[in-house]
Amino acid sequence: MTKSFSIFGRGSTPHLGPFEQQVLQKLWSHGSATVRELLADGKIHQAYTTVMTTMDRLYKKGLLDRVAEGRAFRYTPRHTPQELQRVNALESIRQLLGSGDASSLPLSYLVEALSTHDAQLLDELQLLVERKRRELRDQEKIREQR
Amino acid sequence: MFALRGIAVSLTCFVLLYCLLSAAVAAAWRALKPSDVAQRSVAALLFALRTLPLLASVVITFAFVVPSFQRLEPRSININLGERIGAMPLALGLCALLLIACSCFRVIAAQTGARRVVARWLEGARPLATGARTLMLQSKPEAPAITLVGVRKPKVLVSEATVALLSHDELQLALKHELAHMQAHDNLKKLVFRFCPFPGMVKLESAWSEASELAADDAAVSSQSDAVDLAAALVKLSRLVPVEAAPVCAIGFVTSSVSERVARLLAWDEANKARRVRIRTWFVIPPVVAASLLVTIAYGPVLALTHEMTEWLVR
Repeated sequence: MTKSFSIFGRGSTPHLGPFEQQVLQKLWSHGSATVRELLADGKIHQAYTTVMTTMDRLYKKGLLDRVAEGRAFRYTPRHTPQELQRVNALESIRQLLGSGDASSLPLSYLVEALSTHDAQLLDELQLLVERKRRELRDQEKIREQR
Repeated sequence: MFALRGIAVSLTCFVLLYCLLSAAVAAAWRALKPSDVAQRSVAALLFALRTLPLLASVVITFAFVVPSFQRLEPRSININLGERIGAMPLALGLCALLLIACSCFRVIAAQTGARRVVARWLEGARPLATGARTLMLQSKPEAPAITLVGVRKPKVLVSEATVALLSHDELQLALKHELAHMQAHDNLKKLVFRFCPFPGMVKLESAWSEASELAADDAAVSSQSDAVDLAAALVKLSRLVPVEAAPVCAIGFVTSSVSERVARLLAWDEANKARRVRIRTWFVIPPVVAASLLVTIAYGPVLALTHEMTEWLVR
């Protein structure tokens, strides 16, 4: 399954393509890299110019910083994966709340989703409690039999 | 004019110290990572840190700033020498007054709000037969499941749904948990937090809140079966959605950290509990006595130094 990211504060360019995500992932694992360094890794099988264009696009989308290094650029991710995920979640919620005519409707979906999540968590906790209770009861029985 | 200058200088020192210490505490408290320490001690430590800026700035102001001004400041003012209140102490003095007024307002507002909500919950409430000395009342369905309310005369309110939902043992343990909060004066501590506002202290207060919940769990539980009963009560009551939020100066049984508390209760172990270190109150006595002795011996020079610093502030 291909996931897509939305970009910080840019409603008009909402998603990252699969190759853009791959390049971003590589940069996160490297810390910083030039196009040549990314290709030298051997895990990206694309032409030099394709990688260069993709990195330039990511830079223009505000996801990478770059500094000149000789005749090339060294690119660094501007945000950590966690920061990107957080802003992405906020953006999704913002879009959800902003959509539709009845303003309370998306909020009710959110509450429903959260309640379902809570109920599942509580069911799991309930199971754990019951299992522990059974264990204690069994231990008690064994002690009595002795 | 002398008295006015004295008040302005004292208030200036107070507000500066308060802000500096509060900023230092807000920035540095996360470095504190007590391991193998009883949660009751962790809560006490966090409370001490949270209130340290207010306490220290009040003590330093009254023990050093006010006496140094009274003893060493000349009564007559020579305006040519610059012996008048500068704009900075005036502004900071006003800030201090504003801070004190704001703190008082926050405390009064919290108390009034709590009183109003609790009075509504108490309409038609009847005593719960538990055998405990503390007043326990069965309250309206819209009240939170189990709540400790009140500072001077605390009461435990138990909603009708809670009584119907929990078994006898589970209810007793949940009530013991609330009584542990009462014995630790946690509602009063929450009110004290309202009296010392400072941005960036919310996380420290939440950490204290979590530690106090875990401490109350520890106090309520004395065996593995108790721990399981308390965990069961916690899970059952987490399913009840409160119609109305609890006021600031009230402590509810169900908090946001339910899964952590349940996991901790299910892993309850007497040996583990006994191993945890409790920081006793007397641990602080030796350093306090040593500091007091040091200050008593060097009180004159300390006052002179304080006066020099306040002079620098006034001009």
